[in-house]
Amino acid sequence: MSIPLEHVIILASLLFAMGLGCTVAWRSNVIMMLIGIEIMLNAVMLVFVGASARWGVADGQLFALLIMALTSAEVSLALAMVVYLHRRKKTVNTDVFDSMKG
Amino acid sequence: MKLYLAIMLLLPLAGGLTSALAGRLLPRRLLEFLICATVWGGFVCAALAAASYTAPLTVNLAPWITAFDLGAPLSLYLDPLSLSLAVMVTFVCGLIHIYSVFYMAEEGDYPRFFALLNLFVFAMLTLLLAENLPLLYLGWEGVGFCSYLLIGFWYQDKANADAGRKAFITTRIGDTALVIGIAWLFQLFGTFSMVQLNGMAFLIPGGVVTAIGVLFLIGAMGKSAQVPLQVWLPDAMAGPTPVSAMIHAATMVTAGVYLLARMFPFFGGSAVVTSAIAVTGGITAFYGASCAVAQRDLKRVLAFSTISQIGYMMLGVGAGAITAATFHLLVHAFFKALLFLGAGCVITAMHHEQDIFKMGGLRRSLPVTFWCFLAGSACLAGIPLTGGFFSKDSIIGALWLKGVPLYQALYVLALITALLTSFYSFRLVYLVFGGETNAHIHGSRELKVMELVLVPLALLGLCGGVLDLPGYLGGGFLGHFFANLAGGKAAEAPQATEIVLQAIAGALALAGLAAAHVAFSGKARAKRIAEADNPSALTSFLFHAWHFDDLYRLLFIRPYAALSGFLWQRMDEGVIDDSLDRLAQGVGATGTWFGRWTAGRISLYIVSFAAGGAAILGYLAWVTLS
Amino acid sequence: MISHHLLTLLVFLPSLGALLILAVRKSDALARLVALGFAVAELVLSGYFFTLDTVHTLYPAPAGFFQYENVHWIDFFGIRYTLGMDGISLLMVALTAFITVIGVGVSWQGIKERVPLHFALLLLMESGILGVFLALDLFLFYLFWEVMLIPMFFLIGIWGHGRRIYSAVKFFLYTFLGSLLMLVAIITIFLMHGAQSGTYSFALVDLIGTKVPYDVGLWLFAAFLLAFAIKFPLFPLHTWLPDAHTDAPTAGSVILASLLLKTGAYGLVRFGYPLFPDAARAFTPLIYAAAVFGISYGAWIAFAQKDMKRLVAYSSVSHMGFVALGIAAWSPIALSGAILQMVNHGVTTGALFALVGMLDERTHSREIDTYGGVWGKVPALSFFFLLFCMASAGLPGLNNFVGEFLVLIGTFKVAPLPAGFAFLGMVLTLVYTVRLVQEILFGKERKPLVMHDLSLREGGILAVLAVGAVYLGVSPSPLLELVKGPVALLVGVK
Repeated sequence: MSIPLEHVIILASLLFAMGLGCTVAWRSNVIMMLIGIEIMLNAVMLVFVGASARWGVADGQLFALLIMALTSAEVSLALAMVVYLHRRKKTVNTDVFDSMKG
Repeated sequence: MKLYLAIMLLLPLAGGLTSALAGRLLPRRLLEFLICATVWGGFVCAALAAASYTAPLTVNLAPWITAFDLGAPLSLYLDPLSLSLAVMVTFVCGLIHIYSVFYMAEEGDYPRFFALLNLFVFAMLTLLLAENLPLLYLGWEGVGFCSYLLIGFWYQDKANADAGRKAFITTRIGDTALVIGIAWLFQLFGTFSMVQLNGMAFLIPGGVVTAIGVLFLIGAMGKSAQVPLQVWLPDAMAGPTPVSAMIHAATMVTAGVYLLARMFPFFGGSAVVTSAIAVTGGITAFYGASCAVAQRDLKRVLAFSTISQIGYMMLGVGAGAITAATFHLLVHAFFKALLFLGAGCVITAMHHEQDIFKMGGLRRSLPVTFWCFLAGSACLAGIPLTGGFFSKDSIIGALWLKGVPLYQALYVLALITALLTSFYSFRLVYLVFGGETNAHIHGSRELKVMELVLVPLALLGLCGGVLDLPGYLGGGFLGHFFANLAGGKAAEAPQATEIVLQAIAGALALAGLAAAHVAFSGKARAKRIAEADNPSALTSFLFHAWHFDDLYRLLFIRPYAALSGFLWQRMDEGVIDDSLDRLAQGVGATGTWFGRWTAGRISLYIVSFAAGGAAILGYLAWVTLS
Repeated sequence: MISHHLLTLLVFLPSLGALLILAVRKSDALARLVALGFAVAELVLSGYFFTLDTVHTLYPAPAGFFQYENVHWIDFFGIRYTLGMDGISLLMVALTAFITVIGVGVSWQGIKERVPLHFALLLLMESGILGVFLALDLFLFYLFWEVMLIPMFFLIGIWGHGRRIYSAVKFFLYTFLGSLLMLVAIITIFLMHGAQSGTYSFALVDLIGTKVPYDVGLWLFAAFLLAFAIKFPLFPLHTWLPDAHTDAPTAGSVILASLLLKTGAYGLVRFGYPLFPDAARAFTPLIYAAAVFGISYGAWIAFAQKDMKRLVAYSSVSHMGFVALGIAAWSPIALSGAILQMVNHGVTTGALFALVGMLDERTHSREIDTYGGVWGKVPALSFFFLLFCMASAGLPGLNNFVGEFLVLIGTFKVAPLPAGFAFLGMVLTLVYTVRLVQEILFGKERKPLVMHDLSLREGGILAVLAVGAVYLGVSPSPLLELVKGPVALLVGVK
């Protein structure tokens, strides 16, 4: 039995919306934002895998693997930055870091 | 002939340029000799041209402006009118040049003065000899330019410089009308040649001829100081006296009369134009004479008399009596130059005092000047048998002979003016030369030479009548000379009429003399001087030349200056520039306002991102669903 | 070989000089000498073109052009490197070369900082201007049009005085806005022509034949007109000019007035009218109005000025009105007059700016109120001042009279009313000119000023300009003969 693509997409959309909601809701906290971004990325991965299964093409799974690698790199870098920023300003509130504003 | 004409023009030009560019490098005596020699050389050429003159001719010297069908070559035209004036101009200017050398003996900046004098002669001769209108205009503006700088020659005094500026601008107003007329003529006929144009008036509607004639008249008004553009001439007396004599009496101011006489065949057929010329002349003649009666400054009296006398010439042109007008122009040049040069002697002797009420008794200390000045005044007043009498009378007679009510009215006006003229002429003589000496006379070697120059002019003024004696005395030279010229042939009066007319004019001149004698000789003279400081309302009105200057200041000059500042600060910098600056500021402000979005707050970016994504999705959904 | 690429040499010789100057930028004196050398060489080269009386070109040239170059450049877009010279271009080229020499001369001592850059920019600008006067490919024309803008921006911005940044930016924005719209119009007509004929080309000779719908033509001509009218400058687009002139260094003012303003007029004659004859006719009343109003308006405002340079700047607005009038009339005489007037205005106004610069160098003041009685102190300078003021006022026998006279006579023939009003401008011109002469040269000295008379260099510059002014005034016929052929072709008469 195979799960219809529509279901996968609905689930992915829900996941994405939750991730976005998390990012927007806790936007003053870098760590919560990172978690939100991870969730959104996972939603995207889900769509890739689902689509790959639906049309029987391996590209989607390949992309999913690529995203996993990318995410791990991203998270490690981001957490390092969080630690560094926290050390500088004693906060993880993103709005404090505005020295690059136009 | 071509050679004579070319040399006549080139000599003063060369003299002027030499003096302007290298005047400082030459010894003073040499330069003085040079600038006199160029003008006398011009006179010799003019005389030679006159001697070998047979019929009108056109001489082409070189091309000037040539573009498609427009051609304005440097070509000259010689006919009795231009020839007689050229001889007069070179002769009178030659005498005035000699006089100037001595008059300006103490002036340090002489090269500029002599350069301008010579250039003036060049420009005047160009004006006279030009065959086409652009070349005439070159001379026309050239004399205006030279007169501008000569009036303001002593430029450190602001009043002098202002007078020069006034002359230049006022005449330029007239010149503009002239150029419009020239452009119109070219549009109609495709030529600038005055000879050709003069024969073509019949090709176009009378209304157009009238309009062009009026434009030319306005041009002439400016140059010849006719009402309402006369205001510059009295102030022009700020220049050195020889300049006044040369430019503002003998030559330049007659340019307008010359132009109208030259173009007379063109618009002579239009009664409106000739009447307008005559009325302008009549009013101006009366205006000038009335103002001259009340003036205190010796040169201003003469200036107003010039305005008045040129008014007579205009009357002559308006009456179609070109010969009479030219006759008066020539004689007037002699006696007016004489009067101005005489005034120059007086002023030099009086240490630059010009108020006639502070003079007196000069008949003993300056006898030569006195007799010559007297001769000049007699000519100006039209005392019978002087040159001025015959020339002025031929104009007044021509007015009567027109036999039209308008011209008869002008005839009466001209007679009244003649009476006034005689009165103010002798008022001047009595005030300046009568009474007792009350000032130290500054005699010098220069003054002696200057006085000598007066003598030939006095003789010419007195005997100028022989140029064109009336019919009953055997007729005149000018009448024959001009006979073939269009408008040259005046209506021939029966001898009896002519004698009666002349008797009336002569009687009036003598009446004026008598009136001046009663008012200004002997004891009355002292009384008038005492009265002079408390002028009556009428005298004051006349003294201020009918308040024309104040009127123009109120009507034109002040509004012009005010509007100029208004246009600049309110319109140009205010409306146009400020609105642009505001626009620029608006763009800048909008940019800054949008820039606030880039606040550097990541939370804001995320919300914006989410909102943007939602908007795009919403749009796609809307498109898909509908 | 080189004889077939003389035009390229002509255009790029100054750029070469600019590069050389930047290469030797260590020495100010050397930079000056190199600049002068290249400017004079350019003048000699442009003079050489006067001696070429026959058609002398490798490439088939359009009628009227006696020098022509036409080679491939960017074939993909139909852009070619096309330069051509006819009588009008030659006159403008000669003026450019002449005025650049003057520009180098007047900035010989006045510029003290970054001397090499200044002279390099002068020469670079000369290249740009020459390119504008010679390009016959619209893309190439646009390129040069922008190239000449940039050096002027820096000249004003770096060596200017007063609110120089404001003025430089204003100048740049104004002209850039106009030229961008022109670019849009150029591309539009390029596409229209390509769609009609199948071959895409920016060449003027090709584009002239394009059939443009009337209402589209109006918009396209309006875009061209805007670009050119800003450069002209026509009322009411002139307000950048007084600021730019006032704040520019002397050489900048001279070149701005004498050359940059001419590019607008030239563009209108070479591109605007021939490309869109119908639209141009529709716009003619508007141009008449702007020209005639500008003549009086500029003269009137000039009267109120307190700053000499501003006065001369406003006088440019007035004088260029005559050029616009002559172009709008589009009759042989008026157009000849307008082209001649471009040269005349270049000489006269260039000289006046040079004179103002010289006075400024002596007293460090451009306020008219500072001066007075200058004639007594520096007679030679005053002589030239008077001469050029009178030329500017249109005294016959000097240069401006001939141009104005031809424009007015030619315009009167086809449009008496605008010409009639333009005549009134003659009076107003005299009023402000005489005021300037009066306040500066005459009267008593208002402030004790120590002045020395002309140096040999200054005297030389002014004498050369004066000879030009007198020559153009006395003997304009050879130049009129030169432009006669091209004008006849443009206007369409024999």
